[in-house]
Amino acid sequence: MHRFLQICTRVALGIACLSGFCRAQDFQVPNAVTAGDEADISTAGSGKGTFYLIGPGVSRKSEVNLGENIHLQAQDTRNAGDYLAIVCSSTCRNTGFYVSAAKPVSLTFLVHPSRVPVAQGDAISGVALPFDQFHNLVLRPLTVNFQIASGDASLLSRPVPTQNGAAWFRASSGKSAGALQVTAAIDDLSVRRAVQQVASDPCNLRITGQRTKVGITVQTEPVRDCVGNPVPDGTIVTFTATSANGKSSVDAPIKRGIAQAQMMASGAASISAASGVVMGNEVRVGAQP
Amino acid sequence: MHISNYLARFRSSCGVAVFALCLGASLNLHAADSTVQVQLDFKKASPRTVEELTERGILRDYRFAWTSIAQALEFNTLDPLEGPFAGDAKSWLKQTVANQQQSGLSQKYLDQTHRVEAVFYAPEGDVMELHDTAEYQLQVSDGGKVIHDEHIVIRYVVLMTPAADRWVIRQLQAVPQF
Repeated sequence: MHRFLQICTRVALGIACLSGFCRAQDFQVPNAVTAGDEADISTAGSGKGTFYLIGPGVSRKSEVNLGENIHLQAQDTRNAGDYLAIVCSSTCRNTGFYVSAAKPVSLTFLVHPSRVPVAQGDAISGVALPFDQFHNLVLRPLTVNFQIASGDASLLSRPVPTQNGAAWFRASSGKSAGALQVTAAIDDLSVRRAVQQVASDPCNLRITGQRTKVGITVQTEPVRDCVGNPVPDGTIVTFTATSANGKSSVDAPIKRGIAQAQMMASGAASISAASGVVMGNEVRVGAQP
Repeated sequence: MHISNYLARFRSSCGVAVFALCLGASLNLHAADSTVQVQLDFKKASPRTVEELTERGILRDYRFAWTSIAQALEFNTLDPLEGPFAGDAKSWLKQTVANQQQSGLSQKYLDQTHRVEAVFYAPEGDVMELHDTAEYQLQVSDGGKVIHDEHIVIRYVVLMTPAADRWVIRQLQAVPQF
């Protein structure tokens, strides 16, 4: 008798399922959702149920009427990623969906370095990463236009497609000191960074020296790099005097383009100069009369 | 009098020892639950080659980040998120924990395995992009009752940047495919 009742119950449940009553938790999520879009999840059946939405930045629980649509607000879908929707009444059912990034509205643009010597190969580099208004990384391919300009002159213009959400470039520095404008642009969205180009190492470092009452005064000619840019003030020039009494050195910063030093040497001396890895000429100054 | 003092001390010591044993056991269990396996492949990283020291740092910090995610979402606490995360990833993880605290939900990430490939390393080494194919058992609970238990394979695009003493995750975004 007990077994007969069990069979009857199963048959009754089967008929109920076929007629749609046991599909109370069936539901459909949208195929494609863009970040910040509102969306609806349709449910079937009748009665009350509990809806859960679990995703990046979201962990929502709400009571729902089965058979009605569940509305997802824009704030529910603002983060791109994987979402899990669960509907429970007597049992739970679940399904997942993805939210993709919206259109790019901002660019993260990293440029190195902030100061660069002129005429250096591959000395400047930049990385651009596009983000949507909710700070999701935009992963679909986009073309970033990198431009480098000095004043009105364009030094580089290079379209680079993003790969996995990133585009990058490397470029040589220009020939003249001054500010470089480095720009990354996607359509009408652009971000600009400045790179200061400074003179490179001194070139043709030339010095003169003359005997004075208290020693020897030495000074450089205006110090420039190999393409004629004045080397910045503050750059150190080392003067070295070699005489019968030995060797002595003086470090002097460049001021207004010239480095100058007073050296103590009563006898004849050979004086040389160096700045960084660059050596200058050597001058001989006679002994004190 | 002395004997009763000794007995009291002995009982107290035993209590401390039993408590320490229990604590140790629970910590071990917790460590076993939060085991995170990470395999990292840096061969495709470009344009900059990843230095060996950086490889070790990324491996250590990425694994720690996922242990922290698991702890934060299981126990609904924000503390584990301080340190391994920054920027957008930190904000949405904190938001998830705050939402869970309100709704009474929690998530368990069990038996995590991450197969990670570095696909981009910036010329100056200031950002690295990883592609992670993660597998774990996800358990969602409502007030302690498990409402969802599923083995998941999910792909993440990850942006990591160097901070003062570690690499931090700035972006953690699941995608349907790479």
